[in-house]
Amino acid sequence: MWNEQLAALAHGYSSGVLSIVDSNGYPLSVRCAVCLDETRQAFTLPTPPAQAMAWRGKACLLFHQYNERLEGLRQMVILGELVCEEGLLTLRVSKFVTANGRQNTDQMPHATSPLHMLQFFWLGWHNARTYLARRGRPWPAIPYKLIEHLLDEEEVASPTVSAGVQHV
Amino acid sequence: MPTLDVPPEINRALRFYYTCEATTVNREGQPVTWPTLAYYDEESGQILLTASIAFPVKAFNARRHPQVSLLYSDPTGAKLEQAPAVLIQGDAMVTELLDYNSSQVRGLFRAMIRRQPDSRRLISNRIVRRIFAWYLFQRLVITVRPRRLLVWSHGDFSVAPTEIEV
Repeated sequence: MWNEQLAALAHGYSSGVLSIVDSNGYPLSVRCAVCLDETRQAFTLPTPPAQAMAWRGKACLLFHQYNERLEGLRQMVILGELVCEEGLLTLRVSKFVTANGRQNTDQMPHATSPLHMLQFFWLGWHNARTYLARRGRPWPAIPYKLIEHLLDEEEVASPTVSAGVQHV
Repeated sequence: MPTLDVPPEINRALRFYYTCEATTVNREGQPVTWPTLAYYDEESGQILLTASIAFPVKAFNARRHPQVSLLYSDPTGAKLEQAPAVLIQGDAMVTELLDYNSSQVRGLFRAMIRRQPDSRRLISNRIVRRIFAWYLFQRLVITVRPRRLLVWSHGDFSVAPTEIEV
């Protein structure tokens, strides 16, 4: 299903990662320039890498970005069918997927937007409960003391200055 | 000595890229790609990824269809000059992340702290880390054994890649 808001966000990316599955069952991916064709509600690849020219069938297009502190995360997946239309490699879209559970933004939650963070928390907490219920037994105790020790070790090895809070 | 015999520039890419684009195949045979923090364990030649139990689809896909790929194509933050792009096709094994005494899990944890330094504040905060335990600690580990590499020098996808069988 086409999503105008998410599709428009593709303009903010200089390239995307296109993936298919090869004849041996392994995925294959390349990074390439992608154009949004709003009229046809599709994405086209005007200059695909040579090895991707012949790709057809089920495909995935990923857009993502982050900064040098691995913050400011944005990510969006577009599933569909790769075809050749009017001489252009074209992704016919079947679904947009975001990692934040929302259908109007590809930004991952951050402490600077508490409502967004709360929505993400409820989604994750609910999903985690479902996983644990299926698991049938509780998750073992988390070794916080050992984790704190690892943090201390890492602080000595690579001291850092925290400049904000980022949830991913 | 690393058990994955690759040129030094590829070794550096695997060690220093912050993320890779991990592709798994879902029940419908559709590839699904998400960015993920990956840790390259030089000793074993394996690559570790994780998925929160709240968002386990990537791990479930890999358990059902172990053939996966990892593309290293965004060197943001890695401080590598003329970094190559590397695609790894490999076989995945999925487990739950339980043993923080394991050298691989420690390596993964350290890589996360170094690449995302602000995560230290979350993990150090006793309240936050309990509220977000499902995200920070209750995770599934996908261990990938590389089988084939495609390498694009300088990250240039307009040229044919070099292939390395491992």
